[in-house]
Amino acid sequence: MSESAVPASNASGNASEKMASLVREAENLKGKLEEERQKLNDVNLANIAERLEQIAYVNIKPRKVLKGHQAKVLCTDWSPDKRHIISSSQDGRLIIWDAFTTNKEHAVTMPTTWIMACAYAPSGNFVACGGLDNKVTVYPITSDEEMAAKKRTVGTHTSYMSCCIYPNSDQQILTGSGDSTCALWDVESGQLLQSFHGHSGDVMAIDLAPNETGNTFVSGSCDRMAFIWDMRSGHVVQSFEGHQSDVNSVKFHPCGDAIATGSDDSSCRLYDMRADREVAVFAKESIIFGVNSVDFSVSGRLLFAGYNDYTVNLWDTLKSERVCLLYGHENKVSCVQVSPDGTALSTGSWDYTIRVWA
Amino acid sequence: MAANLQQQRSINSQLRREVGIERMPVSEACSLMMKYMLEHEEEDCLLSGFTQKVNPFREKSSCSIL
Repeated sequence: MSESAVPASNASGNASEKMASLVREAENLKGKLEEERQKLNDVNLANIAERLEQIAYVNIKPRKVLKGHQAKVLCTDWSPDKRHIISSSQDGRLIIWDAFTTNKEHAVTMPTTWIMACAYAPSGNFVACGGLDNKVTVYPITSDEEMAAKKRTVGTHTSYMSCCIYPNSDQQILTGSGDSTCALWDVESGQLLQSFHGHSGDVMAIDLAPNETGNTFVSGSCDRMAFIWDMRSGHVVQSFEGHQSDVNSVKFHPCGDAIATGSDDSSCRLYDMRADREVAVFAKESIIFGVNSVDFSVSGRLLFAGYNDYTVNLWDTLKSERVCLLYGHENKVSCVQVSPDGTALSTGSWDYTIRVWA
Repeated sequence: MAANLQQQRSINSQLRREVGIERMPVSEACSLMMKYMLEHEEEDCLLSGFTQKVNPFREKSSCSIL
């Protein structure tokens, strides 16, 4: 053994000891966390809601079918005007629809396929989108020619971009990526304002807290976790586990104090942030297909979930019971979203169509 | 190794923060959530239907008075 090797091996010995002690500490902390959460776990949501009447009947009908994409619809977003919908597809196109008339108002072809995310700016004058190109690109909504000419790349991840959202204004975009991070970008300069490290798998979905000053968001990941983040510090504030497979979708309850998740394990779950734990599970033995997308009605009483078995399930959030199913799509339902005023539900599918239910 | 240590340190500090947060009994948190839902039931068209306003996505009736 050469002399120089001795300190090196000592150093690495110290490092592994340190590592081992950190891992032990982490295990202890996890145990402590579970213990603390369990202390206040006196009932679940369905128990609290037991005395409530069941939802007898929901009058939601298929109203519009938006046809025009030539491949799977991957993402949709309602315009703040409650009338237009933007959709992005595997075919590399973005389409802006008038959901009242079903007319296509704009169509833009991007130099990529699999546009996995699209989002309206709060003003309704811009859209952000991206996917397999790893980038988030912003288009102004003007004429088709001008849209293509005036596009701007705002940020780039090291893997696909799976989701994007405008947190406060047209000036910032929050993205989630297959590189397992989220990132906050300045639209004007393209500067990375904050990056969010913590997930150990692809980030599949993000959502903003509705009732705060726009500083809290939630992310769902293939590491089966949902994280609540503080946008200013870049830290995870709370973490929720329970799913047995990828978390494909996350959505804040309108009250702002809970989140719903949808997973490949064919369940949806509700986590309360004040109680810091899971309070409801939405699953049935007969449901064996994964959930791609979830959203709430404006009161939060209905939870809509889009599944790989081509259906949309409506769950009673309070009683954890299924209210009904929406049939119509002929392939996987990839995205569901309630319109901003709560009058309609849009659903996008691998059957190339978007449907509007109301 | 250094990178792993750094990563583990940040995981531990996250867990420490999480252990320290204040919690509410589940019964209380759920009651508050239920209250919110019941208070907003009427403005929820997908749940309660269109009592106040007209459904903008419904086809106009084909009959009309001229």
